[in-house]
Amino acid sequence: MDRNDRSTTGNGPTDPLRAGPCGRALRRACPGLLLAFLVLLALTMLFPFLWMAVNSFKTEEDFHTRPFALWPETWTLSTYEQAVTIGRVGIYLWNSFAYAVTVTLAQLFVDSLAAYAFARMSFRGRDALFGLVLATMLLPASVQLIPLFLIVKWMGLVNTFAGVVLPSFAGAFGIFMLRQFFLNLPRDLEDAARIDGCGPFGIYWRVALPMARPALVTLGLFLFLSEWGSFIWPLVILSDTSRYPVTVGIALFRNESFIYWNNVFAASVLASLPLIGLFFVAQKHLMGGISLSGLKG
Amino acid sequence: MFKPYAFVLPALALLGLFSFGSMALSLWVSLHQWDPLMPEHRYTGMAHYERAVRDPLVRTALLNTLYYAALAVPLVAASSLALALLVGKVRRGQGILKTLFFLPSITPMVVIALIWVWMLRQDGPVNQTPRIVLGCLPQALKDFLGCSHFSGPNWLMDSRTAMPAIVLTGAWHAVGYYMVIFLAGLGDIPREFYEAARIDGANAWQELRFVTLPLLRNTVVFVLVTLVIGALQVFTQVYVMTGGGPEQSTEVLASVIFKKGFAHFGKMGYASAIAWLFFLFLLCLVLVQMRLMRSRRLYD
Repeated sequence: MDRNDRSTTGNGPTDPLRAGPCGRALRRACPGLLLAFLVLLALTMLFPFLWMAVNSFKTEEDFHTRPFALWPETWTLSTYEQAVTIGRVGIYLWNSFAYAVTVTLAQLFVDSLAAYAFARMSFRGRDALFGLVLATMLLPASVQLIPLFLIVKWMGLVNTFAGVVLPSFAGAFGIFMLRQFFLNLPRDLEDAARIDGCGPFGIYWRVALPMARPALVTLGLFLFLSEWGSFIWPLVILSDTSRYPVTVGIALFRNESFIYWNNVFAASVLASLPLIGLFFVAQKHLMGGISLSGLKG
Repeated sequence: MFKPYAFVLPALALLGLFSFGSMALSLWVSLHQWDPLMPEHRYTGMAHYERAVRDPLVRTALLNTLYYAALAVPLVAASSLALALLVGKVRRGQGILKTLFFLPSITPMVVIALIWVWMLRQDGPVNQTPRIVLGCLPQALKDFLGCSHFSGPNWLMDSRTAMPAIVLTGAWHAVGYYMVIFLAGLGDIPREFYEAARIDGANAWQELRFVTLPLLRNTVVFVLVTLVIGALQVFTQVYVMTGGGPEQSTEVLASVIFKKGFAHFGKMGYASAIAWLFFLFLLCLVLVQMRLMRSRRLYD
């Protein structure tokens, strides 16, 4: 009797997500089979990456004669060398990094400042202003492209660093997400700081921001990833190739002479590696953040 | 007293200028002749709009955009939901699976588009796979099926397959991201519902149909709205992979706006008119969609 009880609680479908269409006999083998199937599926999905990586190590001749072989005849690093020397990928990567870091830091500051006020302060027109901020999420980027170009041109910032980053210094999604986070924080610490004579900016900077660190990290990752991947805006606003981010650099790569597809693949690997590295370091924050963004629906 | 305004001022100034300001400017530009070589901008009234409505290229682009959305939205929604349901059942190793499926969506679209240009070549891996599978089959079975040779389409060079190929590329990019969103939604469903279903003797299919899907409604709404907005703005794959061809079969609204505005310099007024028509269309669609699928409080 006692044994029976234990076995039903031990093997029973306590986790509804886990209980599948498997029969009783299969129940033990089923999770393993499912896992194997999914791993196989995932590897199939990652095949294009693998293929890109392999090709980036092939010599030009090897690539032309057997572009779809999964093993290079001789492994070479000259593709990377050419991508950096002829293709100037090093400059592009540095540009991407500079744009992404600038946008991330600036937007974190601007967004959190506004989000804090929307969450904690009361002032006339607050809700209407917040509504306006949210409304900007409905404006499609492709429609704003031409006027944005004209505005930046009037500011004299075409083909400049500032022209690339400035339009991304504030974002409705960031303000929304951080406001949500501030609303759920306890007010005690902020009240204590106020009693100690701390001003509004001091409370925001020294008390609220440190407490919002998890949200800031998640939003920062999002901003970095999306700015690194941004393509159409730098393509439009920049004309000087030495200012291109890596996305634009690679896309226009193919038109250059002396650049071959295996160099393009080497450059693509270089453009993806920082993101993949960042992803592995911080995937918990990233996945958690995506779950958050899905919940507002 | 004016302290709060100082806090929100930077964000409001930036969003005001770059979001609302640009929309207003776009409207103004669309009503004028906009040639950078000419210093003055002649007022044209609704002429650009009338032209846009009659322009066969705009009509083609609209139809192609809708075609892209009609293929991509159900494909991504269904496959990411299916993936989430399967991955959700795995207990040990779920983390690594999520990571693997998620990887494409953090990779820049440009990189992905470049890889897929090669994947989709006539002699590329996409066509090679069925060829290899076919090669493994015994001759008798091949004769029985009547297909001893498989050449496969030249995906991006054929006007019939170019758009599906672009959809495939976009789906590959997006599936992992939406899988994570669906997994979060699945995790929020209280377990009692499943226990109740099991006591009532529901099988796996009934559980999915009558418990999971209805309770996942808000997540589904969010995913569909986001997917539709994103699909209608598709641009990067088109720019990198086909440039709108062959025979305009992948010309979409965003690429037409881009080309009219920047490639044929001096047609910014006309391009802005197309952009505004597109915006109004998108807005109506999103409002209708939100109304039809308004999110509800499903459980406490």
